[in-house]
Amino acid sequence: MGRPRAFDTDQAVSTAAALFATHGFEGTSVDDLVTATGIHRGSLYKVFGSKRSLHLTALRRHLDHEIHPVTAAIATLTDPAQALTTATASYDNGPAAGLLLLAAAERAPHDPEVAALVAEGITALEEALRPSHGDAAPQLASTVLGSRLRLRALPTTTPKEY
Amino acid sequence: MALISIDRERGILTAEFQGLDKLWTLKSRLEIPLAHVRGATHDPGMAREPKGVRVGGSYFPGLITAGRFRRNGERLFWDVKNPEKAVVIELADAEHYDRLVLEVENPRATVDLIEQSISRA
Repeated sequence: MGRPRAFDTDQAVSTAAALFATHGFEGTSVDDLVTATGIHRGSLYKVFGSKRSLHLTALRRHLDHEIHPVTAAIATLTDPAQALTTATASYDNGPAAGLLLLAAAERAPHDPEVAALVAEGITALEEALRPSHGDAAPQLASTVLGSRLRLRALPTTTPKEY
Repeated sequence: MALISIDRERGILTAEFQGLDKLWTLKSRLEIPLAHVRGATHDPGMAREPKGVRVGGSYFPGLITAGRFRRNGERLFWDVKNPEKAVVIELADAEHYDRLVLEVENPRATVDLIEQSISRA
């Protein structure tokens, strides 16, 4: 029965995704979300229902807008070296795979809905590497994601973008 | 303090108020169909929000917020003394309240219990 919402939902989800990708689910408070999106707390609850629901929406958006376009491009490559180089470069510098990896480590073991989305993202990369690597594709996908995780773990003096 | 329990067979979430909270909130319990529960979030910062207009219950700023409040056209039910343990339960339009803000013993476990009960996975 509240007032009609007057904010860009997609922009709010995108901002929330960046926070979750940087600080994780537990590390992102509702205060953080309210401050970063500029949306009233009541409106945030009215639209998304809960922090978990907003996180699921952000993860869904991440798959649709970032992971799937990249994996579709990788799937067109048949040269193994080119496919692997593109995948590694895309995940290092392109889409914020940090959100996917963080969700995999932090939430997937306890949340079946997050686990399903994470599985979708990982499977997409495996399938994208299949034209170039055949049965070795899952192993190569693990290597790409592992190197992304390793990159994330490197110490840095400047704030990182995920 | 509210004690939250879920009856999966009846599909009901119950918030039972303990001790003097029955007096502050003017309620001993709330029963909400699970189908009307949209989500739960541990949200200590919620307690800093303006409370709006008290419709029924008790409000001693900084000490206790309990009972029915209206703010921006929304109907909220509060029972919070310790903001660190506040859980926000968002309800569907069909419910009498838009939102419950309740203090619980273990916010993390309560949020997990509610979210798992309404999960569609």
